Amino acid sequence: MVLEATMICIDNSEWMRNGDYTPSRFQAQADAVNLICGAKTQSNPENTVGILTMAGKGVRVLTTPTTDLGKLLACMHGLEMGGEMNIASAIQIAQLALKHRQNKNQRQRIIVFAGSPIKYDKKMLESIGKKLKKSSVSLDIVDFGEEDEGKPEKLEALLTAVNNNDSSHIVHIPPGPNALSDVLISTPVFTGDGEGGSGFVAAGPVAVSDFDFGVDPNIDPELALALRVSMEEERARQEAAAKRAAEEGSSQNKGDEQSSKSQDTTMADTTGATAATDAAEPMSEVDALLQQAIALSMQTPASDSAVRDTDMSEANNEDQDLAAALQMSMQEGEKDSSGQMDMSEVLEDQAFVSSVLASLPGVDPNDPSVKDLLASLHGKSESADQKKDEEKAPKDDEK
Amino acid sequence: MSSTATATATAAPTASAIQRSQVDLVDFIDWSGVECLNQNSAHSIANALKQGYREDDGLNVESDADEQLLVYIPFLQVVKLHSLAVKGPEEEGPKTVKLYSNREHMGFSNVNDFPPSDTVEFSAENIQAGKPVVLKYVKFQNVRSVTIFIEDNQSGGDVTKVQKIAFFGTTVETTDMKGLKKIEDH
Repeated sequence: MVLEATMICIDNSEWMRNGDYTPSRFQAQADAVNLICGAKTQSNPENTVGILTMAGKGVRVLTTPTTDLGKLLACMHGLEMGGEMNIASAIQIAQLALKHRQNKNQRQRIIVFAGSPIKYDKKMLESIGKKLKKSSVSLDIVDFGEEDEGKPEKLEALLTAVNNNDSSHIVHIPPGPNALSDVLISTPVFTGDGEGGSGFVAAGPVAVSDFDFGVDPNIDPELALALRVSMEEERARQEAAAKRAAEEGSSQNKGDEQSSKSQDTTMADTTGATAATDAAEPMSEVDALLQQAIALSMQTPASDSAVRDTDMSEANNEDQDLAAALQMSMQEGEKDSSGQMDMSEVLEDQAFVSSVLASLPGVDPNDPSVKDLLASLHGKSESADQKKDEEKAPKDDEK
Repeated sequence: MSSTATATATAAPTASAIQRSQVDLVDFIDWSGVECLNQNSAHSIANALKQGYREDDGLNVESDADEQLLVYIPFLQVVKLHSLAVKGPEEEGPKTVKLYSNREHMGFSNVNDFPPSDTVEFSAENIQAGKPVVLKYVKFQNVRSVTIFIEDNQSGGDVTKVQKIAFFGTTVETTDMKGLKKIEDH
């Protein structure tokens, strides 16, 4: 979105009749110019673009820098080919046209389409480049068409003389199946130093998104900030969980045994772990809920079991009595679930859900609507539910 | 600073003018409009103009493609320029400095189109000492912006380095207010 005044120098010499670019070099060039005009005026409404032709009877300015896209497209019509390209005077006249731009706050840029051989020598081009650099004019060079020996070197020398902080670019486009404008779209000539042009290039294959989360902080700072904060929170939580897992990993004797058993009975374990840890100190309760939340987001039973293992080992370290109770409840859960794998899944779900619901700050477990919801969930399997309810009841009362 | 001037506001204008004008105009520079053509981006004009940066001799503004520099400084209000201090190294410091008042958006191509308001030639000693040089005060009575064109440097090399550029003078409005107060006291 840089505010810029651009002068486009078109090559309309005899060399442009060649058909090695479809449909002809001149047509391909005209398409590219139209695209550039559109891109520039769209990226910033105050951008101005002007056009001049380099060959013909002499360098001729078709339009001085203007914001009017219609005028630019119109003056591309009816151009005649002929003569030889005069790149030196063309660049100097373009510089003059930019100097007299109306809005002096605009940056100055010249885009040159060099399709025919260059008769000037390198030194001359370098001195022109230096003058451009002194006046802080950026230059984009599109090297296409006639492949003259020495032409790429001359143009590269011109670019190095002008280039200031990578604001100037050169693109070499050999003849090929792709249209000139298609190749140009993905180059910095269009994308303009990595920013801007992204709105215009939506149709193109390039997704210019230099910002995290695909949101431009300039356009939507609140959204970008919210995304960044939530990302950091999640990262911090996962780090804390990983750290705890690492700590517990060293003292996992009982935990290992239980974990091997619980691999088969993942669902029952979750309820046992939930009840046990909830009955324990508030800190472990918070951690358990944290684990549940993380597990929920991961949504894989395997990870659930790993998380539950962590919970249980943690409970072990904190309270040996609790550990005994835990083992007992787990064995009960095993007996239950061995016969009813499906039931235990449902159990796990509703017990889990109800425990989570109970812990939610805004939800009152004694609220009739919540009770109805729990009842409907419970109604699916009442027999094996009794024990879980009893475990949960004291926990709910604590809340 | 200017408050040292007493009831001699009307009498002996030149003497009191010299006394009063030792105001460093760095506070009145409009930083959003300061531009410098042909500066090396690593060594920018702020190194020579801003308070703190300009005192540091290690920080200087350097020219890029060749030895000329064109600095445009707008002011926040109308000022009168009394003197100019330029400090630079002995070899690469500026030699010929031309000043243009109230000319906006000049380029290297039109510096020679009209005569400068003042031209200062620095010798090697002057530029190393960085002492203020008195300007043609009458030409700088109503200055909104000043353009400094550094044409060449002491040694004639390709790079010009400037450590400090400072203007001294008075602001037009402020002086008037103080003058009014003095009259009322009488």
